[in-house]
Amino acid sequence: MIPIEFFLAFAAILFAIGAYGVMTKNNTIIVLMCVELMLNAANINFVAFSAFTGDAMGQVFVIMTITVAAAEVAVGIAILLNAYKLKKATEVDGLASMRW
Amino acid sequence: MNIDPTIISNIFGDFTPIAPMIIMILGALIMPAIYLSSKRRNLVTGAMLAVIIISIIINFVLLVGEYTGTYAELFTYDAFSGLMILLFQTVVFLVALVSAASTETTRLYYGAYSSLLLAATTGMMFVATAGDLLTIFLGVELVSISSYALVAMKRNDPRAAEAAVKYVIIGGISTALTIYGISMLYGVTGTTNIADIATVLSTDGFSWAFGIAMITIIAGYGFKIAAVPFHMWAPDVYEGAATPVSLFLATGSKKMGLVVFFKIFLVLFVAGSAVASFATVEMQYVFAIIAAITMTVGNVVAIAQPNIKRMLAYSSIAQAGYILIVMAVMSEYALTGGLFHMFTHVFMKGGAFLIVGALISVGIGEKISDYRGLAKRAPFVAFAMLLFLFSLAGIPPLAGFTSKFILFSSAIYGDGGVMTQWIWLAFIAILNSAISLYYYARVVKAMYIEKGETTDKIKIPNAFAVAIAICVVFVIILGIYPQLILDFCSNAAAALFA
Repeated sequence: MIPIEFFLAFAAILFAIGAYGVMTKNNTIIVLMCVELMLNAANINFVAFSAFTGDAMGQVFVIMTITVAAAEVAVGIAILLNAYKLKKATEVDGLASMRW
Repeated sequence: MNIDPTIISNIFGDFTPIAPMIIMILGALIMPAIYLSSKRRNLVTGAMLAVIIISIIINFVLLVGEYTGTYAELFTYDAFSGLMILLFQTVVFLVALVSAASTETTRLYYGAYSSLLLAATTGMMFVATAGDLLTIFLGVELVSISSYALVAMKRNDPRAAEAAVKYVIIGGISTALTIYGISMLYGVTGTTNIADIATVLSTDGFSWAFGIAMITIIAGYGFKIAAVPFHMWAPDVYEGAATPVSLFLATGSKKMGLVVFFKIFLVLFVAGSAVASFATVEMQYVFAIIAAITMTVGNVVAIAQPNIKRMLAYSSIAQAGYILIVMAVMSEYALTGGLFHMFTHVFMKGGAFLIVGALISVGIGEKISDYRGLAKRAPFVAFAMLLFLFSLAGIPPLAGFTSKFILFSSAIYGDGGVMTQWIWLAFIAILNSAISLYYYARVVKAMYIEKGETTDKIKIPNAFAVAIAICVVFVIILGIYPQLILDFCSNAAAALFA
């Protein structure tokens, strides 16, 4: 059986890649995808812990997280489309009229 | 008062602990149908207010009747959750009252707007009753996702589109941080029930994984309350959104974040303070530093803002800093003060946003310079604004003074004597109140002393006038007679600490 540390390290790396993408990418759609990576890192944690302790609550949490992530992306993409229609920009740099 | 909560429990049976939310969510489901079949915004507003009032009555009976109950091990109704539900209902009542009268809110999608408003409130109420990390997470997400759409639903304003994009991305990051922290917490303790987590932790003590969980959860929910350094989205979103929505976010959504802080961290660290290795004292200092930085940054940056919505946004960042004193002191008295301040903040900050919204609806801009000579043009509105701003600054005998007094004094008095540990925090808070008076007084100066370009009288919409009048009444009454809410607050604090 694979030790739990491997799963945790994998999830942590996935989370770090997502966080790196969120901070460096200019395209808002890629940023949203990176947020998804971060959410899935947490899902892997949940499933790993759930499998190792034999407790079902972790898996319930994963289903809920996936649902929430789907809803968030649906609303997020709609908002990006709206921004593109009104401001002709999907880049982070093009959405900086308000500062401070 | 003698009210028997069995009237409610006879109707709702096992569902009594979530009865106020059931009414709210049913309302959220029928609002679009009412709008689509009638196309009249006033009818939808009436239906919304009816739903909210029914929900308030149910909650009030349960709260005054001192009902306690649990539903499905996920929701617990007690004095704390009842009081917080009342707070969120008050907020949504004010927002629903003025939404149709505001020229900024959507016309075409008003059914969806009202539905989202009620759904977001339901999420907040779920958080207030939550006893499990799962319900807290889902409640917060229900609020977040609804409010992303609410922010974007402003008419003809590219700023709203930009604000919504920022909000959705920051909100997504905050969700990801939180859920990662919750997964670590679940891994450490093997459960997601907060009371069980506290029990496990008070025997196991502190571990590095628990530390990671705490850091990520504090960061994640720190975004929700806009604590510095997680505050950069708040001014943009409050400025870009329609003013009723800004009101909803500043007074409702932020309070929900604070409720989460109380529910998770206060419970865990107070339970864990029995264990020497639990680092409760270190966490108190972390919260104290966050509180001090949050109030200072909020107040100092607010001075430089020419836009009044942005100024109010920074001022509510500062107010969240004041309430975070509760997390540093971690005493029952502090929580009483914090809850009371959350209530008074709804009326004073809500009132100020209502006035801004009312004036935008009659064609006055958002700049502080647009408020010149307002006292001549609309004496009632200018005087109400003066009351709200002075109350925010903490001038007696208004509500803001009373609640700030209790909150700040809790950092000095506690356990039946003077504590020297947090005097510096109270000192910084009082210093900040003095700074805040400067930028509030700037608005008052523009309204009362500076001359405007015209002296034409302004007539604000009736719905706004009623909502502002409600806020004025409460700002004065809670200042003179704080017992009205204070007893509920101390009961609620006792329930959370029990």
